[in-house]
Amino acid sequence: MASNVITVALAGNPNSGKTSLFNELVGANQKVGNWSGVTIEKSEGTVNHNGFTLKFVDLPGTYSLTAYSPEEVIARNYLIEERPDVVVNVVDGTNLERNLALTVQLMALEVNMVVALNMHDEVVRQGTKIDIELLERLLGSHVVPTSAVKKTGLNNLFDHIIRVYSGLIVSAKDKLSFSERIEEKIAELEQLLKTESGLDKYSTRWLAIKLLENDKHVYSEVKEYPVWLRIGKILQDTYDDFEQKGYDDPELVIVEDINAFIRGAVQETVIYKVRESKTLTDWIDTFLINRFLGLPFFFVIMWLVFQFAFRLGEAPMGWIELGFKYLAIGVGYVLPAGILHSVIVDGIISGVGGVVIFLPNIVLLFIALSFLEATGYMARAAFVVDKVMHFVGLHGKSFLPMITGFGCSIPAIMATRTLKNRGDRIVTMMIIPFMSCGAKLPVYVLLIGAFFAPEMAGNVLFGVYLFGVAIALVSAVLLKKTIYKGESEPFVMELPPYRMPTLKSIFFQAKIKAEMYLKKAGTIILLASVLIWVASSFPHSQAIKQNFQEQKVQVVKSNYVDSEKQSLVAELGLMEASAQLEYSIAGRAGKLLEPIIRPLGFDWRIGIALVTGLAAKEVVVSTLSTIYSLGETQDGITDLRAALQQDPNFTKATALSLMVFVLLYIPCVAAMAVFRQEAGSWKIVGIYSVYALSVAWLASFVVYRVGLLLL
Amino acid sequence: MEVKLSELKPGDKAEILSVKALGEIRRRLLDLGVTKGLKIKLIRKAPLGDPIEISFRGCYLTLRVEEAESINVVKIGEVGDGKPMGNQKKIKHCKIGEHDGK
Repeated sequence: MASNVITVALAGNPNSGKTSLFNELVGANQKVGNWSGVTIEKSEGTVNHNGFTLKFVDLPGTYSLTAYSPEEVIARNYLIEERPDVVVNVVDGTNLERNLALTVQLMALEVNMVVALNMHDEVVRQGTKIDIELLERLLGSHVVPTSAVKKTGLNNLFDHIIRVYSGLIVSAKDKLSFSERIEEKIAELEQLLKTESGLDKYSTRWLAIKLLENDKHVYSEVKEYPVWLRIGKILQDTYDDFEQKGYDDPELVIVEDINAFIRGAVQETVIYKVRESKTLTDWIDTFLINRFLGLPFFFVIMWLVFQFAFRLGEAPMGWIELGFKYLAIGVGYVLPAGILHSVIVDGIISGVGGVVIFLPNIVLLFIALSFLEATGYMARAAFVVDKVMHFVGLHGKSFLPMITGFGCSIPAIMATRTLKNRGDRIVTMMIIPFMSCGAKLPVYVLLIGAFFAPEMAGNVLFGVYLFGVAIALVSAVLLKKTIYKGESEPFVMELPPYRMPTLKSIFFQAKIKAEMYLKKAGTIILLASVLIWVASSFPHSQAIKQNFQEQKVQVVKSNYVDSEKQSLVAELGLMEASAQLEYSIAGRAGKLLEPIIRPLGFDWRIGIALVTGLAAKEVVVSTLSTIYSLGETQDGITDLRAALQQDPNFTKATALSLMVFVLLYIPCVAAMAVFRQEAGSWKIVGIYSVYALSVAWLASFVVYRVGLLLL
Repeated sequence: MEVKLSELKPGDKAEILSVKALGEIRRRLLDLGVTKGLKIKLIRKAPLGDPIEISFRGCYLTLRVEEAESINVVKIGEVGDGKPMGNQKKIKHCKIGEHDGK
């Protein structure tokens, strides 16, 4: 025995309860990261048991170990390259036949395996009898009944892992055999493969099977070796020979042999109690996803999720905002007004606040989503709306993240992780910001209130939202046809039986998402918010300050009554803030932008607001207030409306154009940071930014020009 | 009579004759146990008519119509389905909609 540290990989089907079991096995001692190069979660955790340290790695849930989906490639590469000491294969005991397919593939890989017969409580409740001893003999590995819900079998599983590691239990490697004509070819190929020393990290038998199965990864691996010349010929001959004789192709024969093996094993070891003709799942589905009620139920559930995540999130977001406000006031007592005060209050505190403020949304949304996922409704939701999404080239699962985008792009972009196909996922992320988020609403409210009659307000607002959705759908088609063309993920998907999820796994999911957001995105968001603050505060003009100081002194010296003096000084203060903003980097950027945004009906003032709006979309409103020298008073928005109406450059067409631009141009830095984190490359962020800005410009241009003609 | 899986109606039972799909879809179907000889039942179509849901051996699977078009089946329980009664060699132990009982 080399050491007391055992690496244990957890492999199993999606819906086998693997993640719940993992959470029960390692408890809070887990850390979550990504598998290198991809944004698929990798959970690891450590447990001490009887003097051994068990390091668990939760592999992505897969039905198989072929080389098609990224999950399968990750799981398979990990098993081959990292060679974990023990593999725990988690199987759903209530659906043994399906789950054993992966078990057989693990047997073919010749790993040291323990089978965790999970959901055993449910097996017992259904009255199913499984002859575990016989199953062990057939599979050549030990089988341990477990239940994540009832927390049973966990210690037994630990013991078995240690005994397999210590060599007290040896997995039999010769249990899986194929039809004669396949075995012949396997033997022939193995003999050749054994002559290549470079391939010895693989089991030669496994390589031979995979070659016969036409596995593209194994093909390209073996192609690197001189022996390929002879192997390639054997494979070609085999395929030709099978075809000539009218057999199924080798891949199909292997699959059928495996199925026959599994069916035999299940038939010999499992006795099902006669089932009721309709299970609970059948009953629920008869209502929940039927032809007439399927869509209404779907929309009600989406609405509930939305309310849960965003309405319920409002209160804690308010507390967080208030907390940071008090913190800022507190700092004001300690530090005198000045540059340091400004750095801490306006830069750091508001920056950190800007990160933390999204936490309630993220936590609540992921509680809701993992609940839907774990109960089994998520797959059904995709089933109900897939046709719509397929129409624009996406997958049914894209719908939910898109809807979430109406609340906030950040959790919406994070929610695209449910999409397995990378192209689908990137395209979904790119169109989410077109779904008008909550922070853009104040901008619409301001502009609609200023330029449209009250009876028109609702229609205009609805129109803006609808316009966003239309642009999102058209963009999906466009992006899918150009940059991310290629096959979508097939929609061949299991609808798992309805189950009550464990609280622990839901809690962990939410916690993981919160941590990921704070650690990864939080730092970029903080940095970017501080940068925007710096841009809108510096450089600071002493000349402007002095000029206004002198004017204030003159006011004080003048013979106005005191109350008039006060309001005049206050007004001068607002004008000073406006002048300073104009002088700052953001102000200059706004002016620099003017030639580009002039055709959209925007002057430099709107330019500045669009720049600072990158910090958060509602900042567009407060920046306009500052530029028009208005304070942030109670009736600030009324004053601002009046100011905009009086501005001769600002017309109805400008208002429409600005709403469209704010709707479509790149989202706030927080969303961009999350985008970067989830997309995994700046290049994609770059492509998106160019696309979004172009679309925003073009759409605003058209709206403005048409608006000028018609309004 | 040989028909495509996509042509079945809810409630229809059928036996799979061949899976013509290629690449990832084919492999996914094979991994989930959709192979020649499997008896399935079409449970329902989605509210918008696509995708469809089938069941076999107590599991439920969805696939799109365009994917179902690549699967050839023969209906069971129809007069003249060309199958002698009881000739269910490959899947003898399993009846539609339930696990293999004793």
